Amino acid sequence: MVSKRTAKLVAIGVIVAGTLVAESKKEYHFSVGPKAGVSVMNPYGSISVKPSLNNTVVVNAILHSDKVEVDNSQNGNRVDIQSHLLAGADADSGRVDYEVLVPPDASVTLHSSTGSLRAEKLHGDVSLEGAGASVDVRDVSDAHVHVKTMNGTVNLDNIQNGHVEVDSLSGDVTLRSVTGPLVQVVSTSGRINYFGDFGNSGEYRLTSHSGDIEATIPEWTSADVSARSVRGEVHDDIPLQPKNHTWFPLDKGRAFAGTMGRVAVSSTVVLRTFSGKIHLRKRSEKQ
Amino acid sequence: MNCVELQQSLAELEGSGKDSGSVEQLAHLRACPACSALVRDLNQIAAAASWLQAANEPSPRVWNSIEAILRQEGLIRPQRPARSLIPSFGTRWGAARWLVPAAAMLLLALGISLRRASQPAQLGQQASVAVSAVNPLDLNDDDLRQEIAGSAPEVKTQYEENLRQVNDSIRDAQGVVDEAPNDEDARRSLMDAYQQKAMLFELAMDRSAE
Repeated sequence: MVSKRTAKLVAIGVIVAGTLVAESKKEYHFSVGPKAGVSVMNPYGSISVKPSLNNTVVVNAILHSDKVEVDNSQNGNRVDIQSHLLAGADADSGRVDYEVLVPPDASVTLHSSTGSLRAEKLHGDVSLEGAGASVDVRDVSDAHVHVKTMNGTVNLDNIQNGHVEVDSLSGDVTLRSVTGPLVQVVSTSGRINYFGDFGNSGEYRLTSHSGDIEATIPEWTSADVSARSVRGEVHDDIPLQPKNHTWFPLDKGRAFAGTMGRVAVSSTVVLRTFSGKIHLRKRSEKQ
Repeated sequence: MNCVELQQSLAELEGSGKDSGSVEQLAHLRACPACSALVRDLNQIAAAASWLQAANEPSPRVWNSIEAILRQEGLIRPQRPARSLIPSFGTRWGAARWLVPAAAMLLLALGISLRRASQPAQLGQQASVAVSAVNPLDLNDDDLRQEIAGSAPEVKTQYEENLRQVNDSIRDAQGVVDEAPNDEDARRSLMDAYQQKAMLFELAMDRSAE
């Protein structure tokens, strides 16, 4: 007589085997020239993009069922990848996880509703969009980085000389060592955290309607800072040279404006929230 | 210098901010009646444009009329119209296809209202009138819900919650603009709030197209 334990093991084995049979892997290779364009549209599942060693685009796709296909095409210097949902596909059976290698100078457009979106070590433009997608971009330089999410979290790390625009409705946004001529985050209710030195001569605009905004910066930062919370509070741990003229009333506890460091190389920093809190923190040695 | 070269140089002249042309340009204009007439026309248009800048903006009534006409034409009607001007787009996006022009109209109206608010002679009340003439809170929310109707319950909940938050943010920002029409920050916050709402529609449309 078969023991209960054996029966359980057999059942688990059957389930695992079934999953493995349904899951399949696909690999595609494309030769491209300099500054290629790569687009991946994936309703359900993650997309990760890393640099390739030569002028090739390599797409590794894991399909979680036979209810989804991968459509791919190349037109000149542009590669388009799209998950094609078949009848009856849902968020589980329609899932595809992509790992894509692209030349570092390629421009990348990623779209997923639910999975994580990740791009790293690139210097071409990066555009990532997804309602519930979490976004992680790191080690990108000299590029536009555009992110749109509804409630996914956004993490940008080590973006140098970037033109960065993040739009998030309710997801939290964290920027670490992100600098460039324009760094802009707009959120409705998400929290915004900035860790870094605001670079040189850039414009940094962090706005959340009801989310808190916290900027943690070293004492030697050069910046022209203005902060305002219409209904919330502002806190400033760093002494600023006050400004006399602002667009808005400098109500104590609700707004502050001033400069720090060397004015000649300072960036413009605008922190705005309607009902959230704003905190300009001094970075401790440990951070 | 021939006619093509002159026309190209006109564009450069325009961008450079210089008032008068080079010796070569003047020589060509003296010899060529067609180019001479062209430059005369351009000067007249430039003069008229500066006059137009100072003229009054259309009243909110005009925008209401435009909205009414667009409704009559079926371009911003929530129901699916019998015929589509762009069939393939309509087929793909369904009822959501008018959300983009509606959002564009909304942003256009908002932009004009904000511009008005920046002109001291026309401050205040006109701004809020123009914005409310194309009120997104009345026009679009049901259509966004329609777009996500087929989604999983938790996804619908997420969209509903974000819709509520963004509508609150528009109301709050509009309130600050009404209180202080000269407040540049407040106007920008209002624009940001509308853009966030437009983005929410865009994400919903992307989802429904999948």
